[in-house]
Amino acid sequence: MADCGNPNVEQDALMQRRKKYDRTRQCVKCHDQLGNVVIRHAVYCKGCFFPTVVGKFRRVLEPSISKDKSKKGLKATGNLCLAFSGGLGSSVLLDLIGSNYFAAEGDAGHDWSRGRGGGTEHPRNEPVWEHATVCYVEVCNAIPGARDRTEEIRQIVSRLASYAKFLPLRLEDAFDHAWWERVGRSKPHGQLFVDLGHQDLLLSIRNTSSSPVAALKAYLASLPTQTAVPTAIHNLIRLLLLHTAQLTNSSHLLLGTSLTSLSISLISSIAQGGGFVVREEAQENWQPDSTSSQKVAVSRPLRDVGMKECAIWAWWRGLEVVGKENYLGGKQGIGALTKGFIIGLERDYPSTVSTIARTCAKLAPKEASDGLCTLCERPVQPGVQDWKERISIRQFDEKAAIARSQPGLIQRLCYACHTTLTSPSSRGGVGQSAIDAVQLPVWVESRVLGSDEMKDVVAEFLLDDED
Amino acid sequence: MSQDTTISLKVEFGGGLELLFSNKRSHQLTVPATVPKSTEDNATKQADITFLIRYLRDNLLQERQELFMENETVRPGILVLVNDTDWELEGEGEYVLKNGDEVVFISTLHGG
Repeated sequence: MADCGNPNVEQDALMQRRKKYDRTRQCVKCHDQLGNVVIRHAVYCKGCFFPTVVGKFRRVLEPSISKDKSKKGLKATGNLCLAFSGGLGSSVLLDLIGSNYFAAEGDAGHDWSRGRGGGTEHPRNEPVWEHATVCYVEVCNAIPGARDRTEEIRQIVSRLASYAKFLPLRLEDAFDHAWWERVGRSKPHGQLFVDLGHQDLLLSIRNTSSSPVAALKAYLASLPTQTAVPTAIHNLIRLLLLHTAQLTNSSHLLLGTSLTSLSISLISSIAQGGGFVVREEAQENWQPDSTSSQKVAVSRPLRDVGMKECAIWAWWRGLEVVGKENYLGGKQGIGALTKGFIIGLERDYPSTVSTIARTCAKLAPKEASDGLCTLCERPVQPGVQDWKERISIRQFDEKAAIARSQPGLIQRLCYACHTTLTSPSSRGGVGQSAIDAVQLPVWVESRVLGSDEMKDVVAEFLLDDED
Repeated sequence: MSQDTTISLKVEFGGGLELLFSNKRSHQLTVPATVPKSTEDNATKQADITFLIRYLRDNLLQERQELFMENETVRPGILVLVNDTDWELEGEGEYVLKNGDEVVFISTLHGG
């Protein structure tokens, strides 16, 4: 144990600085070279760093492509959809996918340890995915002062991922019926609105002429807390990506979430009531609807690779990282606070960050889900509304009692989405009538109005265009 | 002799950090070889990375100091490489600068 002296006797007694690495400066893999980088107390030389990262990347990704690795090599059942934000993780993701799965013979970046024996016609040399799409969601209309970076991102993608087609989206597409039709869905009869000021989150249909941008801005402006806005943006991006993956016949949607950002999103999600879906936060299989045979596997192949490894990879590989738009909002939001905490933790106690992800991977809900949340399309905990009613203090409202016959969104939300849309403590000062009804994302319309029974009930509350 | 009193360095910024430094990635610097230990006394020490960080803040940083420094060192989320080696292997801020050293600061937090 390090002796830090007696501060009562020795004025300058200080704890000795602890080394950030175990044992020696030699590389822990080759035991030959002097190390260049410290990754969670282990020292790697530059030559061993690259195969170590590739190994971690493949160990996570390849079991999600195929459980049994045959001699014919990996073959996915569909195409590949890659999410790109411009940030560090997704830039490294595009580079790793390109150099490991789409490299042409002779490419300097290709890892030939996989071999190319058997000739180009050999089944082993077939591409894992036939086509790849890089999908970028432009969020400038959700963030005051943000600029549209679509063209800048298009150019970066053409350099980083020439093997893939670029498909830009906009956050407001979530409120755009034209986009919904483009992803192959039928056009709803009107826009579905929710009254966020009412405790049952009453639903109504309106025929409005407001633009998707106006609907997006109204939706975000109606959210009650600093935490809710970035969470809502994150959810909208997630669903836009999932529906795009379905549109491109992709069996896999890959996200550039590093170990550090996964730990941040796990803690942040649990803090916001998403404990039931903590497994889905790391990996999930999404189905567009119960009748569809198509499933999209959402994977985070960098989930064992920390932010530091990503940054070193990008620097040594000379990758251009343009950065992503910061939508975490105010410093007091749960997302921003969690990020600040985890980044600081990673510097001082790097192993603890991986412990967060490993511990969360062991968690499982006690009971199975009995449906999907209409807003985030993730499993809903059974009986969550009964429980929430028991622990909530409510005021009796005559109008609310009269409105009982009007359908509400509340029974169709998971605990986390319900918390995002309603936060009684902060709403306390705001009069219920002050919050106007806001349009919901198009997939909510589809799920709510998808059943004939619900369509008839909600149609009774068809309101005229107030604009 | 000028070689004894100053050190020539190449300093690079990556991961978006260059935006705080006139949007210029690479800088050639000449810094004193011996610097005051602290502002309170006259004792001196050899120029180290702790000094370089303060020097960059005072001389090159154009805006938003809080995105570069925290508690007299770099902000968490900024990596430092000295001659292509992680500064954690070189004693971090206590690494004594040498003539011709290349020091790289990389942000892992570009944007969001």
